[in-house]
Parts: sequence; structure tokens; C-alpha cells
Amino acid sequence: MKINRVKTLAVKEWREILRDRLFLSLAFVVPISMMLVFGYGIKMDVENIPFAVLDQDRSAMSRDYLHQFIDSRYFDYQGDVENEDEIDNLIAGSKIRFAIIVPPKFQETLLSGRPIAVQSLIDGTFPFRTSTSKGYVAAINNAFNTQLLTAYISQKMGVTAEQAAAFMSPIKIQLRYLYNQELRSIWSIAPAMMMFILLMTPPFLTALGIVREKENGSIYNIYSSTVTRGEFLMGKLFPYVVISCINVVILWLIAIFAFGAPFKGDPVFFFIASVIYVTCTTGIGLLVSLFSKTQVSAMMLTVVVTIVPAVLYSGLLVPIASMDAASQFEAHLFPAMYYTDIALGSFLKGIGVEELWTRVAALLLYTIILWVISYNLFHKRVKA
Amino acid sequence: MVTPDQSDWVVNVQNFHKRYRKQIAVEGVSFAIQKGEIYGLIGPDGAGKSSLMKAISGILTYDSGSVEVFGTLISSEVSAESVKGRIGFMPQGLGQNLYGELSVEENIDFFAQLREVSPEQLISRKRKLLAMTRLDKFTDRPMKLLSGGMKQKLGLVCTLIHEPELIILDEPTTGVDPVSRRDFWAILTALLREQNIAALVSTAYMDEATRFQQLSLMYAGKVIAAGEPSQIIANVPGTLVELVAHPQAAALSQLKPIFQQVEAVGALLRVFAEGREEAAAIKQITSLLSDQELSSIHASKPEMEDAFIALLNQAHLTESDTAPAINTHKESEVDASKKDELAIEADNLCRDFGNFRAVDHVSFQVKQGEIFGLLGANGAGKSTVFKMLTGILRPTGGEGKVAGQDMLRATQAIKERIGYMSQAFSLYQDMTVLENIRLYARIYAVPRQQLKQRVDWVIATAGLQGVETRLAGALPMGIRQRLALGCALVHKPTVLFLDEPTSGVDPLGRRRFWDILIQMARVEQVAILVTTHYMSEAEHCDHLALMYAGRIIADATPAQMKKALVEAAGELLEISTDKPLLALKLIEQAGYEQAALFGKKIHLLAKAPQLVRQQIEPLLTANQVVLHSIAPHPPSLEDVFVHQVMTHESEAEQP
Repeated sequence: MKINRVKTLAVKEWREILRDRLFLSLAFVVPISMMLVFGYGIKMDVENIPFAVLDQDRSAMSRDYLHQFIDSRYFDYQGDVENEDEIDNLIAGSKIRFAIIVPPKFQETLLSGRPIAVQSLIDGTFPFRTSTSKGYVAAINNAFNTQLLTAYISQKMGVTAEQAAAFMSPIKIQLRYLYNQELRSIWSIAPAMMMFILLMTPPFLTALGIVREKENGSIYNIYSSTVTRGEFLMGKLFPYVVISCINVVILWLIAIFAFGAPFKGDPVFFFIASVIYVTCTTGIGLLVSLFSKTQVSAMMLTVVVTIVPAVLYSGLLVPIASMDAASQFEAHLFPAMYYTDIALGSFLKGIGVEELWTRVAALLLYTIILWVISYNLFHKRVKA
Repeated sequence: MVTPDQSDWVVNVQNFHKRYRKQIAVEGVSFAIQKGEIYGLIGPDGAGKSSLMKAISGILTYDSGSVEVFGTLISSEVSAESVKGRIGFMPQGLGQNLYGELSVEENIDFFAQLREVSPEQLISRKRKLLAMTRLDKFTDRPMKLLSGGMKQKLGLVCTLIHEPELIILDEPTTGVDPVSRRDFWAILTALLREQNIAALVSTAYMDEATRFQQLSLMYAGKVIAAGEPSQIIANVPGTLVELVAHPQAAALSQLKPIFQQVEAVGALLRVFAEGREEAAAIKQITSLLSDQELSSIHASKPEMEDAFIALLNQAHLTESDTAPAINTHKESEVDASKKDELAIEADNLCRDFGNFRAVDHVSFQVKQGEIFGLLGANGAGKSTVFKMLTGILRPTGGEGKVAGQDMLRATQAIKERIGYMSQAFSLYQDMTVLENIRLYARIYAVPRQQLKQRVDWVIATAGLQGVETRLAGALPMGIRQRLALGCALVHKPTVLFLDEPTSGVDPLGRRRFWDILIQMARVEQVAILVTTHYMSEAEHCDHLALMYAGRIIADATPAQMKKALVEAAGELLEISTDKPLLALKLIEQAGYEQAALFGKKIHLLAKAPQLVRQQIEPLLTANQVVLHSIAPHPPSLEDVFVHQVMTHESEAEQP
């Protein structure tokens, strides 16, 4: 291993990346925009649902009932409408996603002790949002029922409203959400996005960088020279690892400052673990490049080998623990899962090397295997 | 012939076989290269040249046979590594192996550091090589902004920076303008002389054969012939007869069935009478064409291309596809008054791109039925002229008429009357031949009732019988080019624009392509404007315009151009000696700086041929060089091109 030749290769690669606008943007602009787009895009919280009301009763009680919705932070009151046709138009035009219709004689029926149906219309286009909205509606409705019942009991039994309330719901659930107290989805998504982006972009860049040389023939300079395989791989890939390390820092800053995610762990530990992770994913790109002859096929192959594990087997969408045994086993075969644990642990749980060293070791092992395989598959005297 | 001492062999290939899956690339090739030799591999695309060169460079495995380089058997990655330090390999493609984003100097430094050239050596070698290649003014320019010829010269510098003992260059001159090609050969010759190295060079240009001391002619993975260029030609007995016949197309169709090699080269008919002596050949041809007006009959030895095609015919290796039909019946139908009509008139055309004037007051005229060649290096402005004439680009100044229509106003009418075939393969590869033709017919709005007739005509004219249902992408290069030409002709254009139409096509394919063009021009009176890099292709044109830096610097027939060269620069002399390298050095020292080595012979231009002999003979004798002969040699268009461009370059340099 001659360090000068490694340096020569690395410097050449670095210059090429910096001067090629397309490549440079692929190196930095793509990861950053992915982080921003996905971070703002995959907001799982459902709040401020625009809605309208049709109050056909116009009584004190109907107003009371509707105010439960209007005052809620989950709903965004857009105004009253005159008839049902208007509701249809508003929902169809996506002006509102939920409407509530209070029938005539609402107060009268309730006071006479009979049940009455209130119609609620919810836009079902996005099932996730719909079911969340439905939950909110049911909860607000329940609260109003309880309120009515409490008032009734306190009146009948001659006790105070508090006593009646205690009587109505003797067990209360006291909830405290750990790690993400406000249950803000972005706090969990930001670290997960780091896993996703750092799994995808380094292999893309690496595979394209190597296959580009194959495609235009400059790889023959390497084949026909006395540079050893090891020197070539080191020199060629070093700039890509460096770029990914810079991206680790940039994405980390975005997660903290743009998305407000807390970082409770050890930054040094997290950075070292991240470097190992990007070295590992760079190795994926290297492996892909050995099987591709054109940049297009390298891109396709990279998409297949990175997106699938990143989405399905990383814990991004489905927690690993709730997968079936076979899927859990598969998840352990991809590096994504280990880094998800490291990222979430470092960001939200504030845990460090004592708890996470097994994950880091797994990534390191993974990296070594990838690089050893690639080294042995790379030849300077080829078959075709 | 003296059997060379084995220790002098730099490369020894025996019974080499290479397969890519089921596709056989090289089949049983053997040859050896000695020190101090430029060995040529000549053959069209797909002949197996690249596979051989890569295997010798130790970067490609092979299936059987043996490859020895510097006495080491290249049989594994380890053995290949052991000789790579002494080899310089330049792969195919214009500057493809260089790094576009890096500057000229950074590219050289990269290669030098990769090869562990010491900094001191690097400085001196870099200075020398940059000066030789005349790249020293461009050291800071990014490689991607260099012209094709400059890229190729930079590639050569990078390949030579570690002073290899064996240089392997894969098609270094393909697509390179003639001036850069000359430079290229001059550099190679100088190195050969100074360092006693060996070079293996491949080319698809038959006219470069004379540059090599030894060569192998390759076709379809096999060596058809090997040896010294003159020997190979001598082994194909016969006479090349050139004559002017009128009417040409009729003469062509009369000779075609008798001789395997007949072609029209501009106004000349070129016939290779295989196995015949001069007198017999001339007699046979004149009696065959007894009803024609014949003039300027000239007999000579065949050239490499003739020999190559004759050898292919002998080995029954020629493509079994149908040759295009020559149809002369229509000649009488053509309105005679049309003959002298102007098809293209360019009048002081100018085009600026920002501050850069790409085309500078270009004027020329093309008659109906004339084949007009636009010659020039990359970036000379040929394509810009094309785009203005076809109505794709608006000129900054000047005007023109195409097919009788004003270029500025009637662009739509012009587009209906012209056919255009671009350099890039413009067909739909996943469609069959027939589907492609029909598609073009519809695009050009050929009336429905004429559709079948036109499609049949294209198939017959372009010689596409038997391949109608094959996919365009699966056809051999030569047939594909004819299909593209056929598609450009489907709507009966009166003017045809061809942009580098036959690059990469083998000689036989190129001849068949030109057969169609000759028929279109002579019989159908189509005016043809063609750009080309191939000097041998330029010979086919009736009239040539030479472009340099946006201007036309010469506008004449090929014969006139050659005559003008002789008048301006003197006669071309071919000097044959027993020690060509030493002789070249002596001749250069005697003041003939433009002397160039062609294989074992030296070419130079001299205004006073008698003086040359007086000057050179004593010089050579004093240095123990035996002078075999000094004889005048007909100049080629390449000589014309190089001389014209060099003259203009030196004029441009002087304030």
C-alpha cells in the first residue's frame, strides 16, 4: 500500500466531484432536500382539521355541543353553513375535511331523555387521517355525554359536580409519554430520516462514481497501471466517505435546529457510530458497482438494495418488535435497523455506548464483510 | 526474411482465442512485435482489435492460446501486474479515459503520480511532451473543453508520461482531424526513434496502413493477412484502373457484374482488376465501355483498401447482404434542364454565439446532381452551416437558398424538400426496418397511395431486401447506415444533407453506401451536401470546401486542390531508405521539418525535387544510410488538408 498513490486517487476524485455540478448537487443538495422534504412531509400528527357545522337546532345546548369542537386544538372551525349541499361542496373542494350536522329538536329530544343522532361527515381520502379524526370526534362526543350525565347525576342525587364526576369515572388513566413527551412525530422521524438518507445517498454516489469510470473507459487507467486493488478502493472511496461524514453533521444540525428534535445522547459516540454506518453504506455502493456496467443499472440496483430495507426492515414504518419472526430475522440482516436504534437512542433516549455497543459492533462487522467481499470481487484483469 | 531473435520480441501472441459468452471475438490470432516497431492492427469495428489489445495490456482474460509480454506469460492477474509498469495503454474513444473536470496539467500529473514518476522527471517529461503536442498553451484548460484532436494528444501524453517500453493505443486516430492525426504520428515516430520502444496501434482507417512497419489485417476475429504493408498489397495481384467515363452511372452498372470492386470516386471511376496486368486490365475495361466517352485512363498498383476487400472476397467473408441495386433506366427521364440548376446557395452566411463567430462569411454553391463535401476539423463550423441551411438555426447575417426556396423565409417548404441524416444513429432501434421506413414516410407526409411504392423503392435502393423484418438495432453498422439513408430519401428530397455518414463503417459497407449516393446524384439528380472527417471519403466528392475557424479556406474539386498543393508547396516525394528513422532525423536536420514517416518510407513536400536529391543523398551516404529511391508520390487530400490548415494557422499566429 503506497499512501502517495492513495492520495493521488483521492485528490483526483475529490476535484472531479467538486467541479462536476451534477455530482456535487447529488452529494449535498439531494440529502439536504430529502431531509427537508420528508421531514416536513411525513408529519404524522393530525391537528387543525378544517371543519364546518350545520346547526339545524340553534338552541343553547346545540351551541354548547358544537363549541366542544370549535374550541378544540385538533379542529379548525371554518364557519356555519346553511344546508347539506354546501357541506358536500366544501368537502369535495377540500376546503374542509370534516362536517358535523346537529339535527332539529336536538335540545328538546335530549331534555326529554331520548337519544339523538348527530351526523358527522369525514373525508375518507387518507385513511390514517380519517381514523385519527374519527377518534377525536368520538372522544369529544364522549366528553359531552359525560358532561350531560354528570349534570344529571349531580342534580338527581344532590351532590356537587365534582363528586358526580368522581362517581362517573372512578378510574382515571395517568399518562406520561417517555422520551417524546409531546408525542411529536417529527422528533422520531428526524433521526429515522438520517438513517434513511445515509443508507441511500452514499451508495448512490459511490456506485455512480465507480460505474461512471467503467462506462467512459477511464477505469482502464487503473486496470492497466500498477496501482493495487487496495490502493484504488481506498483512494477512490475515501472522498465519498468524507462527503457522507459531512452530510452526517449537516443532517444532524437540520434535525436539531430545523425540526427542533432533542439530542440527549453523546455527540461523539453518535458521530463515530455514524461514520461507521456511512462507511458501511458506501460499501454497499461499492458492491453494487461491481455488478453494474452502466450508471442506469447501478442506480436501479442501488434503489432496490437500499430503499426496501430502509423502508421495510429499519423500524421506520413498522417497529421491528411487532414483525413476525421471519421479518425480524430479515431485519437483522440489514444495517438499517442497527442504526435506527443508535439514532433514536442517541436523540430521544440519551443512551450511549454501554447500551448501544452491540449495534455498533454489528455495523462494524457488516462493514468489514462488505469491503472484504468487494475487494475480492474487484479485479484488474477482467473477463469482459 | 531474417527471423528475428526471440529476445527482441516485446509481444508474442500465439493462437489467441477470446469469447464473450457465446459471441466469438477473436479466433486463433498469432503475431509478434519487435522492439522499435510500430505494429498495426487494422480492421473495421468488431474485428476483435480491442480484445486483443486489452489482453496484451493484461486487463482482459482470454480463453486459449498464449500472450507473452517482455517474455512473461500473461496468464493470471499476478503475472499481468508484473509487466504493467512497462506498458502504456490508451483505450478507445476520444479522451474517454481522461478526466473532463480536470485541467490538462492535472490530468498529466494524475497519470504521473499513479505511475510513480518522480517530480523531477515529471517536470522535464511534461515540458517535452506538451511542447511536442503543442498543448503547452492550454495547460490550465479543463480537458472537457479541448477539441477532439487535442483530447487525443493529451491522452497520448498521459499514456507516455511514465515512459513505457510498450505502448498500446486503441484506435487513437478515429474521429481526429487530419492535422492532429499528423501530429499524433509525428510524436509516435519521434518516440520510437529516441527510446527504441515498441508500439501496437489499431485503426479502422485503411489509408493509415502505410504508417506501420508491420501489420495484421483483421476481420471478424481473424487475421486476413499480415506482414509489411507493401507485401500485403503485393500479395493481391492486380491493377487499379482509374478513368473518367461519361455517363458515369451507366458505366458503373456495366462494370459492376464483371469486377468485384468498382466505385465512383468523384468524377473518376475506380476499378480494381484482380489478377490482371496493367495492359490487359485497361484493354478489358475499354472494350467493355466501348460505347462510352472515356478519358484520363490511368493504371496503378492497388491500395490497402482494395487489397483488404479482395482478401475478404477470397476468404468468402463478405457480408451476404444484398448490394444496393444500381438503376440507370431513369436517367433519360430526368429533365436535362435541371442539371445546372443550383440546389444550395450560401451567400455570406455568418453566425455568432455571443462574442464567438462560429461561421464567418461562408459562401458556396451546390448544383443539382453534385456531391459537395464540407471538410474541416471539429469546431470548424461545419455543423453550424448545416443547421442554418436546414432551417434549424437562424443566421446572424447573410442569406441562402435551398431547393429554390429562401432560407430565411421558407423554412417549412425547405424541410419538405430536403433529406437529413445525422451523425448520431437517428433510427428507432426497437422497430423493424420496414416500420422505420413507414414511420419516416408518414412523418414526411408521403401520400397514402404512394406509400407502398416509396417503401419498396427505399428497400430496393438501399439494398435492404431480406432484412425488412429485422430490428434496426440488431443490424450490422453498414446496413443500419443504409437504412438511415433510405429513411432520409423516402420523400424524394431534391437536396440531401449528410453529417459524417459513414464513421465506424467498414470499407465494404462504406463503398456500398457511396454506391447509393452516386446513384442518387447521377441518376436522380439529387444534390448532396456531406460533412466528413474521412479523407478517403472526401475523395468521393465532386467538389470540396475546406473550413477552418468558421471560414472557407479552399473551394475546388479534389483534383484542383491537389494541383494547387503541388503549385504552392511543391511535389510530394517518397523517400525509401534502409534506416528510415535515422534518415528522417537527417532529413529534418537538413531543413525539411515537415518530413513525416509513413511506415518505412519518408514523405516530404519539395518545391525543387531535383535539389532534394542533391542535398539528401550525400548526407545519407555520409551517415551510412542507403538511399533506395526518391520518387514523386501523388498527394492525398490529407496532404492538402494538413497543408492548408497549417498555412492558415501560421498566418493567424503572425499579427
